[in-house]
Amino acid sequence: MHYVLHYGQIAPYLPYLMGGMAISLALSILSFIGGMVLGLFFAVIRNEGHPVAGRLVRIYVAFFTNTPQLVQIYVIYFGLPDFGILFSPFAAVLIGMTLNAAAYLTEILRAGLSTVHAQELDAAETLGMNRLQTLRHVTLPHLFKVAMPALTNQYILMTLGTSMAAIFGVEELTGRAFNINSTTFRSIEIFTTVAALYVVVTFIATILLALVGRWAFRARVPVL
Amino acid sequence: MLSFLIAEIPRLFTIYNVILLLKAALTTLSLSAVGCVVGLFCGFLLSLARLSQRPIFWPLKALALLYVEILRRVPFLITLMIFFFGAQVLGFNASALVIAFISTSVISTAFVAEIVRAGLRAVKPSQMEAAAVMNFSAWHTFWHVRLPQAWPLILPPVFSYFVLFIKDTALASQAGVLELTQAGKILNTKGFSASLVYATVLILYFIISYPLARFGSYLERRLGASRHSRPRRAV
Repeated sequence: MHYVLHYGQIAPYLPYLMGGMAISLALSILSFIGGMVLGLFFAVIRNEGHPVAGRLVRIYVAFFTNTPQLVQIYVIYFGLPDFGILFSPFAAVLIGMTLNAAAYLTEILRAGLSTVHAQELDAAETLGMNRLQTLRHVTLPHLFKVAMPALTNQYILMTLGTSMAAIFGVEELTGRAFNINSTTFRSIEIFTTVAALYVVVTFIATILLALVGRWAFRARVPVL
Repeated sequence: MLSFLIAEIPRLFTIYNVILLLKAALTTLSLSAVGCVVGLFCGFLLSLARLSQRPIFWPLKALALLYVEILRRVPFLITLMIFFFGAQVLGFNASALVIAFISTSVISTAFVAEIVRAGLRAVKPSQMEAAAVMNFSAWHTFWHVRLPQAWPLILPPVFSYFVLFIKDTALASQAGVLELTQAGKILNTKGFSASLVYATVLILYFIISYPLARFGSYLERRLGASRHSRPRRAV
């Protein structure tokens, strides 16, 4: 074992890595927002109990939660061109991550929706709220208060999941790590640095989301 | 295009290719299973270290906390690469499969430790106090009072983590391990249409994962862990 660690050779690349991190974060935030919109829609459909639409959502969730995200993106990026549908790597990863996140978020939000008591909805009706007001003032605050820890969790997992964008040639944090690895061959140094960056980023995200949850929904999100 | 794909199906599903896919599926399953069994054992020890009260164990406790918090926040791909290149640096001449087994075990230890800790903490302190009143030793309290009550809370989430982890092992294909995704890549480079091959791989993953996921939710109902006392999935 005659290996000497040279972290100094990685240092000039730090701004380059930071740029990659911005792309990673953009990917995770965009797909989380997209997944939330779709997931909320699907969760409401499942909760309303429409026979056909509810079953379709169940099939969607079962399929996307039981297959790997990597292979889903493979199908979108390499498979769909067979049918003349071409995506850029970033778009393919974004679509794959959004569809995958939507399935997991549907489950989380549905579980949250099912904790809203019928009495709360009755009380809202007694107060003369219409459906939109009930949603805004009763259902959603309750939902987010209950689901906040699981949502934080899902966001962290999605941030880690963005690393697979590197496989499709998106130059985000992991992708840039591979680039630096192939120019400097300082593999251990670069990958441990990137691992540390992921730890820092997800830790900041956990704290920020805990603060947002506490401030906006009075949710108790454990940080450690 | 569709007729072209349908014409390709009999060419794809020759005995040789089917055996390749099935062997790869077995590797996928064993990667996750070994990871979770090792993870359950090591995660147990880690969570014991984290729950210990005595000051002598304080450094161990800090180490366990660091291990869990760091390993859960590093993408699997990066961990795999660190082990992959780290093995070469250390002169550890291991195959990609062995490295994949080691890294799945290391990662799942962190996640399972969190599940075990949540399960052990869900047992009410009054139970342990009652045992202390009856003059049980620490070992007796743990083995006969705490563990039997925590077990039904630990097992279902560990099982669902095992099912979740089956899908994460797809990333092991990046280290060249011949598992399901890698088998798909091989078939694709042999000239079969990407849509057909990867759709087959997706369906195979679904066939593996869906019954296990259903069994997991059955296990959860059967062991009778109520929704409120169930430990949260690790962050």
